[in-house]
Amino acid sequence: MTARIQDGGRARRPSRLRRRAFVGALILFAALWFGASPVAAAGETPGACVADKVEALNFGGRHGGEALAILKETAATGVDVGAEEKLKSFEKKLEGCLEAPNPIIPEVTEIIWGGIAFVVLFALMQWKLFPAVKRGMDRRAEKIRDDLDAAETARTEALEVKAGYEAELADARAEAGRIIDAARADAEGVRADLIARAEAEAAELRQRSDADVEAAKRQALADLQGEVSEIVIGAAETVIGRNLDHDTQMQLIESYIDDVGSRN
Amino acid sequence: MSSDRVSSYAEALVSVVQAEGDLAATEDELFAVAQALAGSDELRETLSDRRIPAARRQQIVEDLLGGQAAEVTTALVSMVVGAGRGGDIVRIIEAAVERSAGLRNKAVAEVRSAVALSDDQQQRLAEALQRATGKDVTIKVIVDPAVMGGLVTRIGDEVIDGSVRTRINQLREAF
Repeated sequence: MTARIQDGGRARRPSRLRRRAFVGALILFAALWFGASPVAAAGETPGACVADKVEALNFGGRHGGEALAILKETAATGVDVGAEEKLKSFEKKLEGCLEAPNPIIPEVTEIIWGGIAFVVLFALMQWKLFPAVKRGMDRRAEKIRDDLDAAETARTEALEVKAGYEAELADARAEAGRIIDAARADAEGVRADLIARAEAEAAELRQRSDADVEAAKRQALADLQGEVSEIVIGAAETVIGRNLDHDTQMQLIESYIDDVGSRN
Repeated sequence: MSSDRVSSYAEALVSVVQAEGDLAATEDELFAVAQALAGSDELRETLSDRRIPAARRQQIVEDLLGGQAAEVTTALVSMVVGAGRGGDIVRIIEAAVERSAGLRNKAVAEVRSAVALSDDQQQRLAEALQRATGKDVTIKVIVDPAVMGGLVTRIGDEVIDGSVRTRINQLREAF
């Protein structure tokens, strides 16, 4: 963008000749414009022109305003046709005082003086103003060029810094991506480990629960069996105790003695 | 009480019995006294209670055995109780009985039965035990209703059990 602006400024910079021609034309136009005014062109004001015309009027042996008054009275009577024509001619002269000069073509003296002034002014400008303006413009152009160069340098440096930042950013992003991937892998491992552990604990819990249930069942069966056997044995003991009369006792003793005696 | 002291007291009892004669009869009486004391915790504790004066404890022995046992038997039991060994009197008497039987070259066969055995049964049982163990035995019968029926014989560490109680216990364990 900066380069585009720089190129455009150079493209619009006028050449020295064209710039001088433009300035000269501008000065000429200003001289023509102000030098061609009606008052300036006549060399006198309309009032002075009218006063000069009136002063130069001669009629009836009178001059000036008296002559004009006599002329008007004479013409008003309508007796003297010559007076009427002279009055009309005088009025035309007065109208000539009131008419504006040519707006395009000035008086010759005006042109001469204006040309002299123009030449002097142009020479002064060519001598003092244009070099100063040129130096100023050159300095400004140089400054702008330097600023543009500095801006370009800064832009280049900024681009380099930006490239460095972008590289660092890319590295940071890559590092962050690696860290995230590692963290994700760790998290996945932890998750898998937790799931495996939870499943193992659940399985162990189930197994323990099943074992507890089985043990409780076995214990209940054993208790029931024990109670049943106790009841049965108790009943049997009672029955046996009731049936162990003297004869039976003797038979048991004799049987014991025979059994012991048969041992060797 | 140490086994040495029990043996010493048992040896003393046997010596006295030998000096007084009728070894077997006194031996039976002492064995009966031992079984009676073994079956009565209250009596055994009373005779071993040192808070009771020795004379009082000896008087209890003489009141219980007087007229029912030989004088030497009563005197021996009274001597042990008076010496303050009432708590060990069962062990002392059992050791004395075994020592006495040993002097006669016999082993003591402790026979438990729910009912009393006749002399004939004791004789035949002694003969049967001699054949079975190879030892000349002297029978000491203990009437114990807990046996329910049959007999249980103990000779030293050997036990020959033919009691109904043991059969019922075996049946209970088999369940």
